[in-house]
This record gives sequence, C-alpha cells and structure tokens, in this order.
Amino acid sequence: MNARVVDSIIRKDVFEFSRNRFLVFITILVLVVWVVVFWLLPSNVDETVRIGVVHTGLDPLLAGLQGDDSVGVGLEAYSTEDELRAAVEEGRDDIVAGIAFPADFLDATAAGETPTVQLLVPAGLSSEQRLLLSGIVTETAYAIAGTAPPVDPTTEAIILGTDRIGAQIALQDQMRPLVLVLVLMVETFALASLVAIEVQERTVVAVLATPARVNDFLAAKGIFGTALAFIEVTLLGLLIGAFAVNAPVIIVTLLLGAVLVTGFGLFSGAFGRDFLGTLFIAFFFMIPLMIPAMGALFPGSTATWIKVLPTYGLVEALVGVTVDGESWAEVTPVLLLLAAWGAGAFVVGAYALRRRVATL
Amino acid sequence: MSLRRSWQVFLRELRLSPRSPVVFFAIAMPLILTFLISAVFGSLFDAKPKLGIVDEGGSEVTVAAQELDGVEVVLVDDVADLRDLVEAHDLDAGLVLPVGFDDAVAERRRPDLQFYVSGESLASNRVVLAVTTVDLVRGVSGEEPPVAVVVTPIGDEDYVPIGDRLLPFTVLYAVMVAALFVPAATLVDEREKRTLDAVLVTPTKLSEVLLGKAAFGVGLAMIMGLVTLALNNAFAGKPGAMVLFLLVGAIMMAELGLILGLWAKDIASMYTAVKAGGILVFLPVIFVLFPGLPQWVPRVVPTYYFLVPIYDLAVGGATFGNVTLELAVAIAICVALVPVVAWVAGRSERQLAMTV
Repeated sequence: MNARVVDSIIRKDVFEFSRNRFLVFITILVLVVWVVVFWLLPSNVDETVRIGVVHTGLDPLLAGLQGDDSVGVGLEAYSTEDELRAAVEEGRDDIVAGIAFPADFLDATAAGETPTVQLLVPAGLSSEQRLLLSGIVTETAYAIAGTAPPVDPTTEAIILGTDRIGAQIALQDQMRPLVLVLVLMVETFALASLVAIEVQERTVVAVLATPARVNDFLAAKGIFGTALAFIEVTLLGLLIGAFAVNAPVIIVTLLLGAVLVTGFGLFSGAFGRDFLGTLFIAFFFMIPLMIPAMGALFPGSTATWIKVLPTYGLVEALVGVTVDGESWAEVTPVLLLLAAWGAGAFVVGAYALRRRVATL
Repeated sequence: MSLRRSWQVFLRELRLSPRSPVVFFAIAMPLILTFLISAVFGSLFDAKPKLGIVDEGGSEVTVAAQELDGVEVVLVDDVADLRDLVEAHDLDAGLVLPVGFDDAVAERRRPDLQFYVSGESLASNRVVLAVTTVDLVRGVSGEEPPVAVVVTPIGDEDYVPIGDRLLPFTVLYAVMVAALFVPAATLVDEREKRTLDAVLVTPTKLSEVLLGKAAFGVGLAMIMGLVTLALNNAFAGKPGAMVLFLLVGAIMMAELGLILGLWAKDIASMYTAVKAGGILVFLPVIFVLFPGLPQWVPRVVPTYYFLVPIYDLAVGGATFGNVTLELAVAIAICVALVPVVAWVAGRSERQLAMTV
C-alpha cells in the first residue's frame, strides 16, 4: 500500500464530497436538525402527579400526600370548587385534574354516611391518573371512617435495583446516544453514495489506471468514510454535551461506530446500481441497525435478538457511559463486540467493493 | 392522445415496479410509519404502569386487576422471575399473592404482602400501583367504599390524542411517496438513462407517457392511502368521502410529481427539491399537530385541501357536507395544475427533441 497514493485519493474524495450539494446539504441538515431537536427535549423528569384539591379540614389526612418527589403526588389547595374548575380548565399550576371534597365530607363520612366527591377531569387524562384520583378519594374516606387498609404496599415494598427516585433519566439524556447513533447511520448513506457514484461513473477505473492499486483505493475509502462519520458525530457530540462523562471511552466508541458504518457504506455503495438503488440498500441496513438505539428508549431488559445486531455494542457502550456513568472496565466487553462487528463489516464491505471494482 | 398507449405505459410501470426501490419505499414506509407511531405513542409516551402478579392461590385480586384500565397486568409464574422482571424494569412493580390470601383479607386478618418495586420506576407510577393494589385488595374484602365518586369532564371536548393527530402525516406520506415521488423518480431515471428518448421515437407521445406514469402513481397512492386508513381504523363510516379525497389528493400529488420529474435535471436535484419543499407540503400536518397555531396559515398550501378534510372526517366527526368547500378547492387546484404540467411537458419535449 502506498501512503502517498492513499492520501491523494482521500484528497480527491474530500473535494468531490464538498462539490456534491446533496451530500453536503444532508450532512449539515442532519447536524442542525438534531442539535435543535436535542436541546428542545425535556432535560428533567417530573415524577409528580399534581392534583388540585378543594377540601375542608382534611389537611392532616392529606398531608402524607404532599411532600418531596418520592411521594409521586403533589396537592395544590384551592378555596372553592369554581376556582379549582377554572384551574383545571386552564391547566394552571401544572395540575392534571381536581378533587372537590364537599364541605361536609369529614362529618358525613365520620357519621357513616356516603358523601359524594367530584373528580374534575380534563379531556385526555390518562386512565392510570383516573385510578389514582379515585384511589386517593376512597382511601381518604376509609381513613376518616377508621378502616385501615388490609395491606400497605407503600411501607412494605421492597425496592429492587438502583432506586432512581428524584434522579430519573431525562428524555434528553436518553436521546443523546440515540442521536449519535442516528447521525452515524446517516453517514452510511453518505459514503455509500460517494462509492456508488465512483463505481457508476467508472472514475475508479481511471484511478486504477494510475500507480494506485485496489488496496490503496479501498484503504482511502475506508479512511475517508471513517473520518467523515467520526468528525460529524464528534462535532454533534460536542454540541449536545456527550463528552461530559468519560470522554475517552466515548471517543473510542464513536470511532469504532464510524468504522462499523463505513463497512456498511462500502457494501451499500458496491451494490447500488444507481442513486435510488444505493438509497434503498443503505436504508435496508439502517432500519435494523437503528433497532438497538430505539430499544434503549424503552424501559426494561433488551431482547436477545437485539443483542446480536451489529449496533448493540455501540448503543450499550454509549448508554452505559453517558447515562449510567460506566467506566472502561464495565464497557470493555461491549466495545470488543463492537470492534468485532466493525472489523467484520469493514472486511465484508471492502471485499464487496473489491469484487465490484474487478468487474468494471 | 391515445389512451391505449398510455395504458401500455401504465402496464410497463406495473411490470417494472417489483424491481424499483422507490415503489418498495412507497409500500413499506407507510406500514413502518404506522407501526412506529402506534408503538411510540402507544407505549413510550403513554406508558401505563406495569404490575406483575404471581398468584399462588387463584386470588380474585388477579381477576379484578386484569380488568383494570390504566394498569398493564402481567401474570408471572414464580417469585424469582417476578423479582428479575422488576429489577430489570420490565415491570414497575410485582405483587405476590400467597395461597389463602383472599380468605385472610375476608377474615380481616392482615395477610403477608410481598410487593416489589423497580428502582427505576417513576414515583408517580409507584403511587398509582400502591393505591390500586390497596383498592383491589379492599374489593376482595367485600367492603363498600364509604364515598361515592362522580367524574365531571372539564374543558376541551374536542381533545384528540397525539397518535390520532398524526393520521394526516401517515396519509400524506403514503400519498406523497406513491403519487409524487414514484412518477418523478421514474421520469428522472428514464431521462438520465435515456430510455425516455427511446420511447419517444415510437409513436408514443410524452403526454401519453406522463398520463401512464401518473395513473400508476395515483393507483399506488390510492391503495397505500386506503391501507393506511384501514390500519389506523380511520374510515369513520365514511369510506366514500375518504376515497374521493384520497383520489383528489393523489391526482394533485401526481401532477406535482410530473412537474418535478420534468424539471429536475438529475435524481440528486430532485431529491434535494423534495427535501427542501417538503416542509411546505407537510405544513398542514404541523398545524394539525399543534391546534393552538393560527389555522389560516396552512390554507395557503394545496395539500391542506385533501389532508385536513380526511382528518376532519376520520377524527373530527365532520360530515361530507362540512368539507365540500375544501373538496371544490382541491379539485380547482388539480384543474389549475393541468396547464402547468402541459407547459413544463412542452418545454421538456422541445429539449428532448434537441438532444435526440
């Protein structure tokens, strides 16, 4: 392999990329859109359901429901039902709904009567919040009537796993790895498009008529594709604050991710017969490659079949470091998996392109 | 113009379609979008608390829990599995109901309760599940609640969930890719590969090619539009009106697709034009998503006149009579686009004649 030849081919690729209005447009658009979208996402998690309440003399009973984030319910007191109704209607004070206890609620319940309590419910209130409202009312009434609950899940509960009360992961933090992976995926298309153009227009034949060999050509494409993806994703990472925790691990992960998508880019570019064909093949790879990143948004354990997808290691490492603050030692197994997939994808992509070039 | 030759072009498009990536997109993307929207808005942003139950003695609590709207109940075989699922946050909480649980509750004995909570569960979900569990157990004891609860709906009766408000997005995507993108892409492709030149040296005229391609795009758009509406359960008992608006929308998009396909000098510039102009086409979707925005703005965009009526018919409870004005405007736009297509086609034909 000749380093000077490789360098010349890379320079040519950089020049061609900068002249391709479509690729430059897509690259900048993706960067700008994702940075804007990212910073518009909520940066904290509100774990509290706020409920407006009109009550008379119920403060000692409802006090247990007012407190810090760990309770999950926040009560906002209103002096009249009309005031509460207006607040619910206008969505004031962040309340999701209202409970209007009648003025004689305490006395009537204590006397064994069955008073009626109004739940003021706005359109779109979720069914679980309705359950909560009605549960609060019923338990308040039972407490006044002196009937203790048959079970007490609140105090008898056993917490399993890290208790994240008050420290839940915000959507912005959940989305950070996803955004980085998405941008890497888009680069699959960018490189595939450049390779496909080179194959279709047979400029590769012209390149190989010079002292350049196929290995030089493949090395140049690999370096250019990896650098293109890595620079873009690193820039995005800087703009969305992805390097705040354990930056060296993130950089290595993104570099391995860039190698992985370059492999898929070479493969897609080698097989794309035209622009749309390349687009189709790149999309064909992008959809399954996106699944681990989408799966990370949902709570719970990862399905086994997702673990065998090439981007699983990439997503796990990014989530592990950016969300859970994991160290080198903790992410090494998934980084090795990612490296293996990256090497495999690169070898297959380079082999496919070599075969394609040989047929020209 | 010969309709027979246009029909031949249509059949040719149909024959080539299995090999066309853009036709694959037109078929696959509305289905994928429908799935993604229902998955994301059905379970990600509107996730119900999940309660796992290990029922060792056939408790009535389990039966009542499964009937609840607002809590997703999962039956688990043993306690170890339940603990694993809760710890991994596959469940927000887990409840173990031992043998004799119901009897203990009925006899006013305080039964042992094993209640596991996931550390990653939100405080609001924990309180919902705790309150609901107490409520369910009280139900088994046969106690009559000492209070009556009356639910009074407040405010916007026209509230539409976000998943439903995305209906115009999926419909537009289905119609746009099939009716606009397919004819435009195949036209540009044929011009680039010069197969169009070959066709035009036969007696077939450009207008007949355009009609055949547009008919294929409209047909595909109709099929995908109807499939999308069916998947979203959005016919609302008005299939005739839906078909009419879809047809007008598909024709409008096909006309724009022909203009784009004749204008764009290569596939990259066509794709860039779609990307750049897409925001205008999608403008009505944004205003449906955010009903607080001034609703006169999207009326300046042609797609408003078939998308919003489809949404109003499907979700807003509108009748055909309520949307006839929009239908008239949509038809007028389709008619007005015909001379534009003819002019662009004429110009393109002259250019092709010079290059042949």
